This record gives sequence, structure tokens and C-alpha cells, in this order.
Amino acid sequence: MLSLRDVSVQYGNYTAIQNINIEVRSGEIVVLLGANGAGKSTTFRTISGLNKPATGDIFFEGSSICSLTPDKIVKAGIVQCAEDRKLFPEMSVQENLMMGAYVHRRKKKEIKHTLEEVFELFPILHEKRNQAAGSLSGGQQQMLAIGRALMSKPELMLLDEPSIGLAPLIVEQMFESIQQINQDGTTILLAEQNAHAALSIANKGYVYENGNIVVEGSSKELFANEEVRKAYIGA
Amino acid sequence: MDVLFQQLFNGLTVGSVYSLVALGLTLVYGILHIPNFAHGALYMVGAYITYTMMTSLGLHYVFAIVVSIISVGLISVLMERIVFHPLRDSTPIQHKVAAIGVLLFLEALAHYIWGADYQQMVTPYGQVIEVFGLTLTMQRILIVVTAIVAMILLYLFLKKTYTGASIIAMAQNREGAHLMGINTNKVAMLTFFIAGVLAALGASLTSPINLVFPSMGHLVILKAFVIIIIGGMGSIPGAILGGYILGFSESIGATYISSDYSDIIAFVLLIIILTIKPQGIFAKGEA
Ligand SMILES: Nc1ncnc2c1ncn2[C@@H]1O[C@H](COP(=O)(O)OP(=O)(O)OP(=O)(O)O)[C@@H](O)[C@H]1O
Ligand SMILES: [Mg+2]
Repeated sequence: MLSLRDVSVQYGNYTAIQNINIEVRSGEIVVLLGANGAGKSTTFRTISGLNKPATGDIFFEGSSICSLTPDKIVKAGIVQCAEDRKLFPEMSVQENLMMGAYVHRRKKKEIKHTLEEVFELFPILHEKRNQAAGSLSGGQQQMLAIGRALMSKPELMLLDEPSIGLAPLIVEQMFESIQQINQDGTTILLAEQNAHAALSIANKGYVYENGNIVVEGSSKELFANEEVRKAYIGA
Repeated sequence: MDVLFQQLFNGLTVGSVYSLVALGLTLVYGILHIPNFAHGALYMVGAYITYTMMTSLGLHYVFAIVVSIISVGLISVLMERIVFHPLRDSTPIQHKVAAIGVLLFLEALAHYIWGADYQQMVTPYGQVIEVFGLTLTMQRILIVVTAIVAMILLYLFLKKTYTGASIIAMAQNREGAHLMGINTNKVAMLTFFIAGVLAALGASLTSPINLVFPSMGHLVILKAFVIIIIGGMGSIPGAILGGYILGFSESIGATYISSDYSDIIAFVLLIIILTIKPQGIFAKGEA
């Protein structure tokens, strides 16, 4: 579905990621692991078209998306829920969700239906639907960001550290929600610090170190890998 | 008492025009994140185009305004494309310098085309009518009604349509808007178009009771800055309310203090409001 081939990205003359190869197949959950600054968010920004690769190419369902602008990439079916959420703080929760459906703006009925689905997944958003997004707690904002991404009915969803700053109990719920979203038919590429929880729901994973992928394999293989266990799973 | 009501109505007239100009300025602030100094030049060009359409082509005032607002809207889009778009990744100071450059360019152009003389715009709505004992000219009623209708339409557009909401979304988080599938280039152009339309509309409406000249935008844009600072940078209700607050303060000040000082009132108001509420009336996060 999505494949990155030898992708390198630079900020000025600093190379943030180098010769990255990633394959995501339809229906999978794929996780990117790595320390802070390893290049996970950069990879996501590049897939979404916010950064342009210096070398390499990105294919989505067979065609290159490297030259597309971010809005075209969303239309193609890839939506990103970014690390810093990028909500519209002064709009209400519901208005934020409605903006998520921007690419489907002509299909009023479908939007209403998707909105109900999102409210079902995150009941708290329904309760707070008329509040400004900026007034929500961090965890609620994270749910809103994911809900807003879902509103575009993506085929592939990029989730950049969805569990960041959440209470342990909520983290568990968050991963359940992600699994739910995946079972409902959305392919997921996930960046996580929470390696154990992420690998438990994922099909496979890639481990980043200083802008390179150093290990890749199925979840089982990564769980079994001694170095990965030491560095990221901590057991 | 009569004098007070008369002055309040004048305040409503002046405030309507201020609000229109400040609205455009505040919308563009959401895109550029700097006040666009060239906005006052768009206002001036708007007045001149209406004037020229009436005098050279003999168009009716209303049609002249239509031509003017569309032309200035397009000039404003052109300015976004040629000047601000290429600068989108540069620093705010470069935006400011560019904006001042555009301002100087448009004023020099106006000098070149229309000369430095003061021109009088004649309105077909000069009739005087009596309403509830107040003496009003049709022109002033036209200003108030048109401005309010324009503001209601703008409000409905921004609140009720996806295209309008994308302007607000982009002002609040540009990358967020991009990641929702919004074409930020189109939104920026649309915003500049609307701002140009509002500036030209304000200028064309008020010109018959003022005069048309190359530097006519200076004082207005200065006051529009005061308004959006008072109202809270980027706030739409703040720009409208701020415009009327200033309009009323000026006309009441002119009556009860002295008309010589009416232009200073804006700045006194600025100092007072910023002392009480440094973030402006509708500061971000509250509006
Ligand atoms: N806008 C930028 N300009 C310059 N360097 C940047 C920029 N954004 C990121 N970098 C650098 O690129 C490298 C990779 O950053 P990136 O955000 O992709 O890491 P990450 O894996 O997402 O880390 P984290 O887990 O902390 O979110 C870092 O060294 C960072 O300093
Ligand atoms: Mg990151």
C-alpha cells in the first residue's frame, strides 16, 4: 500500500533520515520505534508532503506521491495525526471534527454518519462537542486529533506518538481504540515510545537510530530480539 | 439630546467603514501573522477606481463600486502571489518590509495615474431625509446598511461554509489545515481577495462624504491597526466591535471635546484599553 524507497530528508545540510525503506501493506498496523530525535516524525512529515525528500521516492497504491502537495496526499487517502496535534484551538470540538471531513465536504450525509462513529469511539468528544478545542485536557485533545483524522475516512492513518502525555489507563484505551480503528478497515502506521504496547497490537516494526533503520521485523521477531528488548521494551 | 443622537448616527457611519477596513486587515493577519501595511493603499486604490469609473466611463455609483471591489480584490490577490507568497518561509521583518514596499509602490502609482489633487466623488444618494427627528443623508444610511449586510454575509460565509471555515482553520493552525486536505494556497488567495473587496467597499462608501487623494489611506489604516490591536489581533468580532467603539468615541469626542482632536481619540483609546486589557478585548483563546 505504502512504500518508502531509499528516502533521505535534510534540514538545511543536516540529514535527519537516511536511505529509509518502509513497506506497509493494506490492513496492517506497522510501528516505528526509536529514541527521541531518531527521525520518526520527519518520516511522517515527509509521507504527508510537509517535507520533501532529498533522495528516494514514496509510493502509495502504486503511484509516486513525492511531488504532491499535502492537501492532495490527504485526498489520496493518507491522513496524519501529528505529534503536536495541530488542532484549531478556538474552534469547537465539533467544528474541528467537521474540518477533518474537509475532503468529503460535499457528502453531508456521510459526514454526519462518520461523526456519529467518532462520537461512539470517543464519547467524551460528544460530551464536550461545543467546547473550544484549546480548552480540552491533553488526553482529550489527543482523542480529538485522532477523531478529526478519522473524519477524513483515510485508507492509511499516520499516528505520531498518540500515547504521549496520557495516563497509563488512558494509554491502554488509546491502543484499544487504535486496534478498533484498524479492525474497521484503516491501515495504520504508528510511531511510539511505548514499544511494548505498540508491538502488542502491531504486525511489524522498524527501529530507528540516528536517522537510519537498524532493525526491522515482525512483532514477534522484535519481541525476541535481545537488543530491542533491552533498549525499548525494558524487560 | 438631538445632538447626541445625531452624533451617535455619525459614529455608526464612521464605525461601519472602520469595521470593514479592520475586518480585512484582521483576516489577512491570520495568513501573514503581521499587519499588512499595504492594506491602506488598497483602500485608496478602491476609492480611485470607483471615482474613475464614474467620471471617465460614466458608470452609475453602484456599478462603479462593483467594478472597484472586484478589481481591488484581484489586485490584493496579485499582491499575495507576487510579494507575500514567495516570502512565506521568511521572517516577519521581511514581510513587514515587503508590505511597506507595496504601500509605497501603490501610492506612487496613484500619484502617477491620478495626480496629487483632491477629488470629490459625487453620490446619487445625496438626499436628506428626516427619521425620528434626525436629519440623515441617504448616503450615510447606505453606508451603514451596506456595511452591516456585508458583515452579516461574511459572518455566514465564515461560519456556515467549508470554504469560509478553511480561512479560520488556516489562521489557527496552518499545518493543521494543510493536513486536513485544505489547499492553503487557495485559502490565502481567497483571504486576500476578501480583504481587498472589504477595503474597496469601505473606501467607495465613505468617499462621497470625504475626499479622494493618494494618501487618504494613511489615517484609516493607522486607525484600523488600533482597532485590531484593541479587538485582539486576528479576532473577527474584535475587529467589528473595535471599529464601532472607535467610530462612536470619535463622534462623541468631536461633539463634547473638540472636533480638532477627533483623530487623536483612536490613540488615546488604544492606550486606555491596552492598560486595562493588554491582550485586547477579544484576545486569543477567549473569543
Ligand atoms: N525543522 C527542523 N529543522 C532542523 N532540524 C530538525 C527539524 N525538525 C527535526 N529536526 C531534527 O531532525 C532529527 C529528527 O527529528 P524527528 O522529529 O524526526 O525525531 P523523532 O524521532 O520524531 O523524535 P521524538 O521521539 O522526540 O518525537 C532531530 O535530530 C531533530 O533535531
Ligand atoms: Mg517525533
